Amino acid sequence: MQIDVVYRPAHSLAKVTLPPGESIVAESGAMVGMSPNVQMQTQSQGGLMGGLKRMFGGESFFRNTFTAQGGQGEVLLAHALCGDMTVLEMTELGYFVQSASFIASTPNVNIETKLGGFRSFFAGEGVFVLKATAQGPGRMLVGAFGGIEELRCDGNLVIDTGHLVAWDASLTYSVGKSGSGFIASFLSGEGLVCHFSGQGRIWIQSRNPTAYGHAVGQLLPPRSG
Amino acid sequence: MQAPSASPVLPGSPPGPAPAPRAGVAHAITHGPSFAMLRLDLAPGETVVAEAGAMVARHQAIAMEVKLNAGQSGGVFALIKALVIALIRRFVGGETFFVNHFTARTPGSIWLAPTLSGQIQHRRLAGERLVLSAGAYLAHTGAIDLKLRFGGLRGLLAKEGAFFLEISGNGELWFTSYGGIETVEVRGPFMVDNGHLVGFEGQLDFNIRSAGGGVLGFVASGEGIVCEFNGSGRVYLQSRNLGALADWVGRLLP
Repeated sequence: MQIDVVYRPAHSLAKVTLPPGESIVAESGAMVGMSPNVQMQTQSQGGLMGGLKRMFGGESFFRNTFTAQGGQGEVLLAHALCGDMTVLEMTELGYFVQSASFIASTPNVNIETKLGGFRSFFAGEGVFVLKATAQGPGRMLVGAFGGIEELRCDGNLVIDTGHLVAWDASLTYSVGKSGSGFIASFLSGEGLVCHFSGQGRIWIQSRNPTAYGHAVGQLLPPRSG
Repeated sequence: MQAPSASPVLPGSPPGPAPAPRAGVAHAITHGPSFAMLRLDLAPGETVVAEAGAMVARHQAIAMEVKLNAGQSGGVFALIKALVIALIRRFVGGETFFVNHFTARTPGSIWLAPTLSGQIQHRRLAGERLVLSAGAYLAHTGAIDLKLRFGGLRGLLAKEGAFFLEISGNGELWFTSYGGIETVEVRGPFMVDNGHLVGFEGQLDFNIRSAGGGVLGFVASGEGIVCEFNGSGRVYLQSRNLGALADWVGRLLP
C-alpha cells in the first residue's frame, strides 16, 4: 500500500493506492473519491458498545473499510479541517492519537478509545485520545488543523491540549491546568495543557480548532432554534 | 517564510536551515503564510511576553506567569483602567488583555501561534511607535510598552477598530494576521479597508471614515469603514477580512 499526501499543507489530500485484495479503514466521511473496483464496507468495530464509546469520544460511530477487488485500486481521503496530514508507521508500543486527528489506518491497527477523564470532558477541549497499536507493520494517517510539526520530547514538554495530534505511547502524560491556580489558568487563556515526560515524538498542529471556532463563532448571529 | 535562528538545536526543535548569528532572541516562523507558528529559543533568564492563549507548547523549564497588561509606565490609575477594559473584553470578546510572561530557567523553547489562520510577522523596534489593530499582537521581548487606545465612535460603529494597541520601545515584536501580511510603503494618501488593517507606523496621519462618503456610501459601496492614511511610513495589511468571513458563514447557518 502506498499513501501519498498532496496539496500540503493547507488543503492536503491523501492518495491511497491499494494492491489487489488490500484494505484501508477510514473514519466515516473521510472518503473523497475511489476507483470503481474499490468496495466500501461500513461497520461499527466492537459492535454497538464500541460504536457508542467512539461517538462519546468524539469520533464516528461507524468506520468504513475500503478494499481493492480484482486489481489495484485508489482511495482519496481528506480531513474535515484545513491543514496538513501525515503518515505514521506503526511501532512496537504504538501511539496515542487525539480523536479528531485520526483519519485512517491499515486493517491490522487496533484503535481503542480512551476516555480522557472528567476534567477533559468538562473543558470541552476534545482531548479524548485513542490508543493505536498493531501487531507487525502497519500505518496510520492523521490530520491536523494547520501545519503539523514533529517535536522530540527529551524529558519534559508542556503542550496545549487543543494543539495535540499524536504522540508515541512510550511517553507518559497527564492533563492539567496551565497556570498555578484556577484564576491564573482562566485569565491566562491557555485552558488545559498536557504534561509529557520521557523520550519520544509528539506531533502538534499549529492551530487550535476549538479556539478558532470560538473566535469565528462569537461573530456569528445567534442560532434561531 | 523562515526567519534565521541563532541557537543550538534544542530538544524538540525541528531541523532547520543552518543557524546564522544574530542579536536578539533566536526565533523561527514555520508553516506560513496560512498557519504560521513561532518558535522562540530562550536562554536562561530570558523572558517573552505573549498574548493570552497563544502558547502551543513549551519546555517544562519555562515558567509561565499571567499578568495584566497595564503598560510599564502606568501608575495605579492605568492599572485600574487596564483591569476594567480587560474584564469587559474578557466577557464581551476579543483578546483578553491579559498577557503571559514566559521565563526560561534553563535553555528551552516555546512555540506560539495565533488563533486565526494567517501569517506571523517579526519586527524589531528601536524606539519607534507602531499601532496594531486589536487582535494583531502576538508576542514581544525586551523593553516594549503596550497601550490600549480607543479608536473613537466611528471605529465602534465598524465593529473592528474600536480598540487599537499602541506599541513602542526597544525590542522584538511579533504580530499576526488573518491571511497573508502585505507591507505597504505609504507616501502621501492611502486608503485601507478597516477589516484588512493589521497595523501602521505611528508617525502616519490616521483617520477613520466611510468609504463612499456619507451614510449612503457606507451602506451602498459594501466597503464599510476605511482607514485613511497620510504621510510616509509603513502600513501592514492582511489579505482576508474576519468580519466578511463571519457575515458569509452567518448567512449559511440554519
